[in-house]
Amino acid sequence: MVGVSTVDPLQGDFPEVIEEYLEHGVMKCIAFNRRGTLLAAGCSDGSCVIWDFETRGIAKELKDKECSAAITSVCWSKYGHRILVSAADKSLTLWDVVSGEKITRTTLQQTSLQARLHPGSSTPSLCLACPLSSAPMIVDLDTGNTTVLPVSIPDAGAGAAPPPKNKFSDVTPSFTPTAACFNKSGDVVYVGNSKGEVLLVDYKSAQVRAMVPTSGGAVIKNIVFCRNGQYLLTNSNDRTIRIYENLLLSKDGLKALDELSEATEGQDDVEKLKAVGLKCLTLFREFQDSITKMHWKAPCFSGDGEWVIGGSASKGEHKIYIWDRGGHLVKILEGPKEALIDLAWHPVHPIIVSVSLTGLVYIWAKDYTENWSAFAPDFKELEENEEYVEREDEFDLIPETEKAKEINANEDDEVDIVTVEKDSAFSDSDMSQDELCFLPAIPSPDMAEQQEKCIESSSKLVDSNNSGSPLSEEGEPNGGAMNHASSPLEEDAGVARLKRKRRPSEKGMELQAEKVRKPLKSSARSSKLKNKSLVDEDTSNGFNGDDVSDEYH
Amino acid sequence: MASSGQEAPPYKPYRQLKILRGHERAVSCVKFSNDGTLLASASLDKTVVIWSSATLSLLHRLVGHSEGVSDVAWSSDSHYICTASDDRTLRIWDARSPGGECVKTLRGHSNFVFCVNFNSQSNLIVSGSFDDTIRVWEVKTGKCLHTIRAHSMPVTSVHFNRDGSLIVSGSHDGSCKIWDTASGTCLKTLIDDKVPAVSFAKFSPNGKFILVATLNDTLKLWNYSTGRFLKVYAGHVNKEYCITSTFSVTNGKYIVSGSEDRCVYLWDLQHKNMVQKLEGHTGTVISVSCHPTENKIASAGLDNDISVRIWVQDA
Repeated sequence: MVGVSTVDPLQGDFPEVIEEYLEHGVMKCIAFNRRGTLLAAGCSDGSCVIWDFETRGIAKELKDKECSAAITSVCWSKYGHRILVSAADKSLTLWDVVSGEKITRTTLQQTSLQARLHPGSSTPSLCLACPLSSAPMIVDLDTGNTTVLPVSIPDAGAGAAPPPKNKFSDVTPSFTPTAACFNKSGDVVYVGNSKGEVLLVDYKSAQVRAMVPTSGGAVIKNIVFCRNGQYLLTNSNDRTIRIYENLLLSKDGLKALDELSEATEGQDDVEKLKAVGLKCLTLFREFQDSITKMHWKAPCFSGDGEWVIGGSASKGEHKIYIWDRGGHLVKILEGPKEALIDLAWHPVHPIIVSVSLTGLVYIWAKDYTENWSAFAPDFKELEENEEYVEREDEFDLIPETEKAKEINANEDDEVDIVTVEKDSAFSDSDMSQDELCFLPAIPSPDMAEQQEKCIESSSKLVDSNNSGSPLSEEGEPNGGAMNHASSPLEEDAGVARLKRKRRPSEKGMELQAEKVRKPLKSSARSSKLKNKSLVDEDTSNGFNGDDVSDEYH
Repeated sequence: MASSGQEAPPYKPYRQLKILRGHERAVSCVKFSNDGTLLASASLDKTVVIWSSATLSLLHRLVGHSEGVSDVAWSSDSHYICTASDDRTLRIWDARSPGGECVKTLRGHSNFVFCVNFNSQSNLIVSGSFDDTIRVWEVKTGKCLHTIRAHSMPVTSVHFNRDGSLIVSGSHDGSCKIWDTASGTCLKTLIDDKVPAVSFAKFSPNGKFILVATLNDTLKLWNYSTGRFLKVYAGHVNKEYCITSTFSVTNGKYIVSGSEDRCVYLWDLQHKNMVQKLEGHTGTVISVSCHPTENKIASAGLDNDISVRIWVQDA
């Protein structure tokens, strides 16, 4: 199936090429904040670096002397005020993002592979930690108390069927990392165990409230919800990613579970839990690569839940598979020959970020296509060739339609210059005024020597994927405009970036997408411009459609 | 928004409150800070003065540019000021430091830097220059992220929209264009006539409309997604200078602009009629700025005037 797509890749809203890479030490794991304006990356030296995703520069670094062990996971609080990192020295550290100060550090008995902050609160003190080889637990970061969560249903007696024994589930629970995650409101924990069962756990009472077995019973390695909580995915040892539809959509998951339990009959506890489970999750799709039989790594949903991505777990390979939720493989992104260790989809844009074993973070985005209708007001791109039909008054000296256009100018309609539309991308409209979207950019003071050495660098960038546009002129006219130069005066050492054209924003895509069926008209004026500036300037530019504007390439 | 049938509140005229003299040459630009506590005025005398908006006293003078300063912009938190100068550089200053300290100098333009603005997140600065280019700079490091060969003549005006994803630029070459911040590519050309020159362009507060001034005594309000203009404001004189105009939203909605006949003009946004002409300056009024919360306007005069005047509405 490699390389073959059943869905036209041109139609989908997913990335296609590597746009840029970020470098800072050796990064191991990543997480976007809620709006995707900041990207946190945990590093091998114990620090956590926060990137401003807009400028692709470092906004903040969280580090202290006490922790120098590699970070195993990084997680934002809901509105971006806190970050929790788990490290290879068994610790969990909670940071305050704005001040860059450590709030607490807790040390557990084992290193956590993953730690997630409670998703419902803006200053959470609870987190879910999944240790290396024992059951997941809820950790109270303030007190250090831990509550171990159940990872299996106790056998109900002679009536229970023995667990299926196949080559994918031969590891006993106590030595297998068990996957777990919070649901969207954070009142139920979904645990994926080594028997391939998904358990819905009420963590306050440490009780299993429902159980959903997966076919084949293979060890579950990852369990992840999409952002709006409608879908859940599991990644199992049988090389299959399973998508479930979440039927418990109310805000109070526990109450819903209580009600279901009341309403459900079952011969014994296990049967009852399975019966309740049927009403909580239903299997929607399964994904696997039947040819290469690949193991998957770091699977997750896109921001809107329409796409699912999974990385190839094979060594020496950096492949990202993209499926639509219906199970069709739409694209395989292939990066440099370095193993992939973490993956994230941007919450809002069709951008994927992947971490390679070498510590680099690659940013994948859509391939930019030239927008010809941008260059003159009347240009409109057409989908296909059109028969041009002349207007009745086309060749009149003063066409009627031109006159009509002028009259429209002084409309008496009211314009609203102040009202801003709500952001529809985020369903939870409890828009906290307090959400941290940006870290203040404090200009770092120039150093004396830098001011002297400041010469324009005219080095061209290596850009092997440059889709050559006929408008991009070689050479720099007027000695003025330079191509974007990789400045020799980097203040953050080692933040070299390979930069190619970045894709336009959503607004840009909207403007591009206007395809009105109008015949192409190009303005063909060539009168010289009178000099109207404060200072005398050279005004010898004649009009040429191609010269009017172009992108910086 | 006044709905039909409702009487708009009667217009209260502005009157001159004070004349601020702090410069030795033409004042090129005035801007209130976003929190309304400070007012910055830039001048061809190479300095920028920071005034207290409440007491109207001179607080600091920012000295450092080697040529006249054409434009000034405030960061969203009102801590930093960025200035654009004929010495081809932009400078970022700390507005709170007592000595008026220059924190950073952004070099790269090869000719006068004419216009500058921060985005609302204030992690980026956009500048337009007589070298026909637009540059997008990263505030933190001062690195130039994009150099856009935007126009064929000097760029007179640059402005970010509300979320910083778009930049509008105007130029003497008669065009007004919209750029995508992330990629530096052109998204739309709003106006493409060779004449008249576009002397100023800025987004409305909600980012849906663009106010464009052209050197034929005209101000137009465009809906940039449809590419059509909706309102025309006229009656002032603007044939030579890049006069700035702005939206006044603190007490009814108005368009405010300077003029070459030494007055400040105010028009009703919806009805387009001129509601007041503020007289007092003795030279071209090149720049106006509206206080973010109070009914206060600041205006700057060119060579024959060299003053900053403050106008207020009586309660």
